[in-house]
Amino acid sequence: MFEVRNIAFTYRKKQVLRDVSFVVSPGEVVCVIGANGAGKTTLLKVLATLAAPDSGVVMVDGQNALAKPLRYRRQLGYLPERVALYEEMTVKEYLNYRAALKGEPVKRIRRRVDEACEMCKVSEFLRSPIGSLSAGLKKRVALADALLLRPRVLLLDDFLAGLDSDMRETAGAVLSNAAAFSSVIATGHELDDLAKWATRFFILRDGVISASVSAVGVDRSSLRGRIATALKGSVS
Amino acid sequence: MSPVRVTWRRTIGRARSLFSTAFAAGGFLAATAALFAFKLDAAEGASLSVASVWAASVSPFLPALAAFLAMDVWSDELQSGRIELLLTTPVREREFTLGKFLGVFSMVVVSTFLSFASTVVALRVYAPSALAGVGVLGFCPAFLALMLQSVLWCAVSVAMSSIFRHAAAAACASLLLLIGIPRGGWAALLAWAPQGRTAFGEMILDAHVIDMSSGLFSSGTVLSYLVLSSFFLFVASKNVAMCRYCGRGGRSLRLSTAFALILAGIFSGLVVELVNRLDSKLDLPVGNLETEFSARTRGILSSAQGEMTVTCFLPRKDARFRQIGRFLRRLQRESASLGGLKIDLRFVDPLWDLGPAERLVRLGAAEGSLVFEKGRRNVVLPLADGYGERICASSIQSLTMPPQRRNVYWTVGHGEAASEEYGTFGMSDIARDLAREGYRNMSIDLAGDAQIPSDCALIVVAGAKEDFSRAESGRIDSYLRAGGRMLVLLAAADSGGVAQLLPGWGLRPSLATTTGAKTLSGTDLIVGEFSEHAISKPLQGSRIVLERPVGFMPSAAAETGTGADRIEFTPLAKAGTAVVAAAVERGVGAGADLSIRPMRIVAIGDAGFVMNGQLAARANANRDFFLNCVAYLSGTDASVASGAETNVLTTGLDRAARIRFATVVVGAVPFVVFLLLLAVAARRRRRS
Repeated sequence: MFEVRNIAFTYRKKQVLRDVSFVVSPGEVVCVIGANGAGKTTLLKVLATLAAPDSGVVMVDGQNALAKPLRYRRQLGYLPERVALYEEMTVKEYLNYRAALKGEPVKRIRRRVDEACEMCKVSEFLRSPIGSLSAGLKKRVALADALLLRPRVLLLDDFLAGLDSDMRETAGAVLSNAAAFSSVIATGHELDDLAKWATRFFILRDGVISASVSAVGVDRSSLRGRIATALKGSVS
Repeated sequence: MSPVRVTWRRTIGRARSLFSTAFAAGGFLAATAALFAFKLDAAEGASLSVASVWAASVSPFLPALAAFLAMDVWSDELQSGRIELLLTTPVREREFTLGKFLGVFSMVVVSTFLSFASTVVALRVYAPSALAGVGVLGFCPAFLALMLQSVLWCAVSVAMSSIFRHAAAAACASLLLLIGIPRGGWAALLAWAPQGRTAFGEMILDAHVIDMSSGLFSSGTVLSYLVLSSFFLFVASKNVAMCRYCGRGGRSLRLSTAFALILAGIFSGLVVELVNRLDSKLDLPVGNLETEFSARTRGILSSAQGEMTVTCFLPRKDARFRQIGRFLRRLQRESASLGGLKIDLRFVDPLWDLGPAERLVRLGAAEGSLVFEKGRRNVVLPLADGYGERICASSIQSLTMPPQRRNVYWTVGHGEAASEEYGTFGMSDIARDLAREGYRNMSIDLAGDAQIPSDCALIVVAGAKEDFSRAESGRIDSYLRAGGRMLVLLAAADSGGVAQLLPGWGLRPSLATTTGAKTLSGTDLIVGEFSEHAISKPLQGSRIVLERPVGFMPSAAAETGTGADRIEFTPLAKAGTAVVAAAVERGVGAGADLSIRPMRIVAIGDAGFVMNGQLAARANANRDFFLNCVAYLSGTDASVASGAETNVLTTGLDRAARIRFATVVVGAVPFVVFLLLLAVAARRRRRS
């Protein structure tokens, strides 16, 4: 169980997040959506320990994750909004490096890399230098990196941005697979695509979760309507 | 695999894929080799080991190399945004920092090792005499010294890279901190107080390298480098951690980190101060160019009895202080092992030990001198005159043995160099050395009715330009026939002086035509080929320099006659086929039985051989060669000096060999390394 309680974050006198709280169960895919500047990326950075919140806690299985950040980070997969990889490395070298960095024993690294590549469909590019890959493939490599050690918490920041429809399908499939072992929190603007895999939507407006919309058992058009309404201001 | 190791491998792997690494390594090797070739030339004959010269050549470029290799280790991660991916891994910032630091340090180690290896190989091929007594093991302290400094340079460079997002800015900051401030500050200090150079000693970073490369390790220095390195790695680590502390929530963390950095800075400063106050020194024997004491010195030390105080009156910051201290301790040990003189060593710093300094000044000692005291007698030896084995042994001898003055007569009136002349073309320096050796320098003008006195140990004709008159030649001839001794420094083969007299005694001056002989200026000769004669044998391995050389051949009178009339011609020093110094002796076979004193002449083919200018300008064995000649001629053969001054660097490189050496170490090796690294980087680039 992944739980966020009363997270607040202020940056240069501007309160970016206010009293953000939610719970994500294992197997859930939660999408945080909102207008630009609503605080989506900041929220994920706080959850990824890249920014210290003013207040609030992050709980993983009832333990305060921020109090023991190293342990928490071992259970974390993070895909930043801006994917920056080592261009001169091959995909295999990069993923090996990242797996080793995350503390995976050497003898298990190969298996982990193969699994992640299989899941993200980048196996055929293992020997390709990252610099020679397209932006979409790079994003898939970064996704494979985030999924390498089958993290308990998967944070994906605007992960569909810049991907074509095929790539989005692939990424979505990866998301569905990942939900089998992770609590997934993703952000983005691609409502139609996100609606295919998300179990819940959080509407973030001015740093506050203004609405929570369940996507389970709701047809696509009605879900889109409810989210649009929520984005306009009505709280559900 | 530990995160440190993973990061270390990654840092090295990244550097291998960059063209800039090839430029950095190639440039570093070329620059260090160029400076080494230059310094080696300047240090010829100086009291330095080749390892120290190498270390002093590498040391100024290490900060630049470290700054260049480390400039993007953090700044690139910060600028590209990859820092986010790194910081979400279960790795501490200090582990990342340590891994990156070790990566940069490893590359610096490899570059330095390449410089060391190419230097040693080139020296072994072109100047094996420079490596004599040092060996590969002798370079270890120098290498360790450089590595110790590299630790700090790499730590500072990594810290700068964590502060600046742009690699160039990080490199500039590192260079400013590591080169600009210390060396610029030092230059400013010297410009502000030019007369204080002696008091300041060497620039502190250079002094550390020279000290450690000659085997003197100071705990204060070593710990200071390590403490400061730790501090800068702490700065780098905390600076990276600060990336997490944005926003109001991180304010307290930012403040506490800043406070921790300030405390760490103060603590590091205090520790550095403390370790330097509680400094202890370890003097390793490796890396020294120590030669064995000569039989003469050992004889003096073993025959002398009682106690003697030897005081080194020199500021501790003086560049010569350590070397003199080491030499004196060696002398003390040697004397103790021979069971002879008991030497009590004292070191008096004129700036700090005011009481003892005042006493020494009353004795007539100036700052920068050695004072030998035995009972109420003392000898003051200015260090400007040298402090080698021969001079010190003579000083000890003069205090421990009854005086035995022998008179050396210098002829005058024919344009000879005068023993009282203090100018460049005078002989006052060598005359003073003779006085120290127990000789009395006298002048003799043979133009009048003066006869050569019976107390004459030898006459010296130092480069006479005008002919001796028939009467003068006759007097010298008579003196020689009676078993006289003469030392001739010849100005030119066809000049006047005693040149006309020599053929009758077995010596014929000729032009010194040599092929393939070593030369520095083109006209001079560097001579290292010595015969087994009592004069020249102890000088094996050293060099003498003749500015305008004259050769000698045996004349018709030589090798003729029998018994007491036979004249033996012995070459002393050769340059190629030309004999530039020779000795003739008559009556050598019969002398022992019939108590006939054999006649001896030694001729050296250069009038300026031991002129003040020559002795001051070049470090060579001319002085010892001359003193050996005097000892041989005056009959004190047992006192022939060894000529083994301690720690004298001799490369034996002539101009052509120097050019070949410089071409290999400055051009070929760096270029090959550059091409190799370029190929590696290109291969990786092509793949991507």
